[in-house]
Amino acid sequence: MLKPGDPAPSFDLEWALDGRIAGSSLAKISSELVLLFFYPRDFSFICPTEVTGFNKALKEFAAEETTIVGVSIDDVDSHLRWARELGGIGYPLLADPDGGLARAYGVFDDQQKVALRATFILDRKRKVVFAASCPLNVGRSVTETLRIVRALRTGQLCPADWKPGVEFGPAGRDF
Amino acid sequence: MASVDPAEKRRLFERLSSVREIVFGVQDGVLTTAGVLCGLSGAVSQHSQVVLAALASTAAGALSMGAGAYLGTRAETEVLGAELELVRVEAAAQPYTVQEGLLDELCKEGLSREAGYRIVRLLSTAPKALASTAEAKMFGLTGGAFGKPALDGIVMGIAFLAGAVVPLLPYMLIPGPRYDLGGALVATALTLFGVGYFAGWLAHRDDRWRSGVRFLAIAMSAAAVGYLIGLAISPLGATAG
Repeated sequence: MLKPGDPAPSFDLEWALDGRIAGSSLAKISSELVLLFFYPRDFSFICPTEVTGFNKALKEFAAEETTIVGVSIDDVDSHLRWARELGGIGYPLLADPDGGLARAYGVFDDQQKVALRATFILDRKRKVVFAASCPLNVGRSVTETLRIVRALRTGQLCPADWKPGVEFGPAGRDF
Repeated sequence: MASVDPAEKRRLFERLSSVREIVFGVQDGVLTTAGVLCGLSGAVSQHSQVVLAALASTAAGALSMGAGAYLGTRAETEVLGAELELVRVEAAAQPYTVQEGLLDELCKEGLSREAGYRIVRLLSTAPKALASTAEAKMFGLTGGAFGKPALDGIVMGIAFLAGAVVPLLPYMLIPGPRYDLGGALVATALTLFGVGYFAGWLAHRDDRWRSGVRFLAIAMSAAAVGYLIGLAISPLGATAG
């Protein structure tokens, strides 16, 4: 699995967005940060809570100059139907049918043949600045991911459980 | 389209679930009694004593087999019940796990992921339906998986008695030391064939006679091997004596 500081592997795949299929690549995303989250499968029972959770927080991530991209091994037609099933998703769902992108990020589960529940945040230079993964049966926290994004955006030294309004750590101070 | 009465079918399946006890009991009753008759015929000169000993053996065998079936089914039911309860507690605490597990099983059976997902979602509106379907699909546990200890015990005991009577009757009814044992063995073979044929008939097999021959061959082979082992170890008894 990639770690902070690693260059983010690029992609040139199809995604489903706003009821349409389009080709896209990492290079075409111009936002400050990219939140790339892998999830195991469309049409499952834990993933929708994450997919819709990120969708509900879309405006808050956009306010932080962050583009959200969801990725799974399902094909793009499945993503379209899945997004429709969930009532519409306002960010792209990237199709990684052969698991190549998941493998490039080191989050492909060879036993289950799906991507792990992994989250990467990429900076402007498209380097990994945050990486985390959860077991397949545990959904991740959208709130915590947003907190991380906000903390990263400050460029400051953020103590444990930092959130907007909390004092930053002074430079040179040990935590 | 022919209509099927689910309640009637369910009752039929419940009755058929006793086939194992019937086949096992009859086969054991026939062979055990035939073995006792063969053994005693050579060792005891009086016909009435052989019959009495065989009757005692039959009574003891029927009680033992009935009790064994009762205790076995009861233990199985308790173990399965305890495991199922654990699964239900886990399912209540982690419903997603059950939903995902059931979805995987439905996909393995050929449903598309999307169709499976919709079915599981529908089932999830009725927790009892979700739980029972998940238990059946994920763990192979259904209501039918749980036997009825008392019924199994009674059926096994009666089946053993019915099987034991077969070699006993000719032995009691046919006079003469040569013909009574021969009659018992012929009746035993015919009964074993008949049980196999009956099982084939219940299974709607076209080759019921083959089912009968197979049953006869397996049962008689087991008896023959037992007889040969007895012959092989008999010198040891003589040495010990």
